[in-house]
Amino acid sequence: MSIAGWQDALREVTGVAGVRGALIISAEDGLVIAETAMDDLATADVAALSAALVSRARRCTAALHATPPESVHLVGERGAVLAVAGPAPLWLVAVARDDAELGRLRLVLRDAAGALH
Amino acid sequence: MAFLELGERLRQRGQLAAAATVALAGLGHYPAVADAHDLLARIRADQGNDAGAIAAWHATLECDTGHLGARKGLAFIAFRSGEFALAERYLEAAAMGAPHDATILAALDRVRSLPRGSTEDAVRLADPASGVLLFDMQGMRLAGTVADSGDVSVADAVSADAAGLAREATRAARLLGLGAVRHIVLETADARIAVIPVRHDAALLLHRSASTPLGRLLALGGRAAHAAREWLERMQ
Repeated sequence: MSIAGWQDALREVTGVAGVRGALIISAEDGLVIAETAMDDLATADVAALSAALVSRARRCTAALHATPPESVHLVGERGAVLAVAGPAPLWLVAVARDDAELGRLRLVLRDAAGALH
Repeated sequence: MAFLELGERLRQRGQLAAAATVALAGLGHYPAVADAHDLLARIRADQGNDAGAIAAWHATLECDTGHLGARKGLAFIAFRSGEFALAERYLEAAAMGAPHDATILAALDRVRSLPRGSTEDAVRLADPASGVLLFDMQGMRLAGTVADSGDVSVADAVSADAAGLAREATRAARLLGLGAVRHIVLETADARIAVIPVRHDAALLLHRSASTPLGRLLALGGRAAHAAREWLERMQ
């Protein structure tokens, strides 16, 4: 997929109400590959922390003898981070407010991550 | 092994006493063969001896932790006894081993659609079939195990890694201003896993098949967290 295609995927995600930003990250090194986000969102921090979370999630599923995670959701009282695997090592990550429609966001992320190939 | 075929043929003909004799004789020679215990369990179930069937299916799982027939058999007995939540848990465990088995998925749909009593969905932390694992934030297992294995060494390893995940989630939530962690959900091709903080020093993990709706997983997680808090208070 082209860079323009990636930006389209990110715009689709940020089009969901309550989403503060969307990023494509490299889960191997925690770096931002592409992003569309509000100014106050520290996307470098989001990328690094999401990659660390994905790494921990992989260890957890390996211990369970399950297949590797395809998505990781971290939901807090004031917001959420949802990450969905794209073509390795890319992950599509969204940061949402607590009033976001997480069910819809999850589906949009899955579609958009599938389109990153 | 010829006795397996002979025993099964006798069972299907309804000659249950003869089938049991064959199965027990076979087990005398091959006590570690899971299918032999499974045969005996099916015979006991046909005889209406639920306790005998359950014991034999547990023996089957000791020989082969992923034995599908034993999971389905235990679900059948639970269903026949009206313990629908237990039946669902056994079917969930079976679905994790065979996520595309249409018979298991259909049975899961059916059992989930049945009305439950108020105590039916109670979370039993000590029940290995519950698939609820409680651990402290240092990664030490406190209670429970994981659904597809009664092996405590697996449960201990999962506790250690799940605690690492919970700590990482807490750190990420703090640094990103997300507030206190409500839950972490992992979706894999064959499973859905929820990690839910119970208190500042403990969390629990729920492990279910990929067929489990996320909302249902989280609803069960909420009940499990409540049960875990009560359990922790009793322990102190």
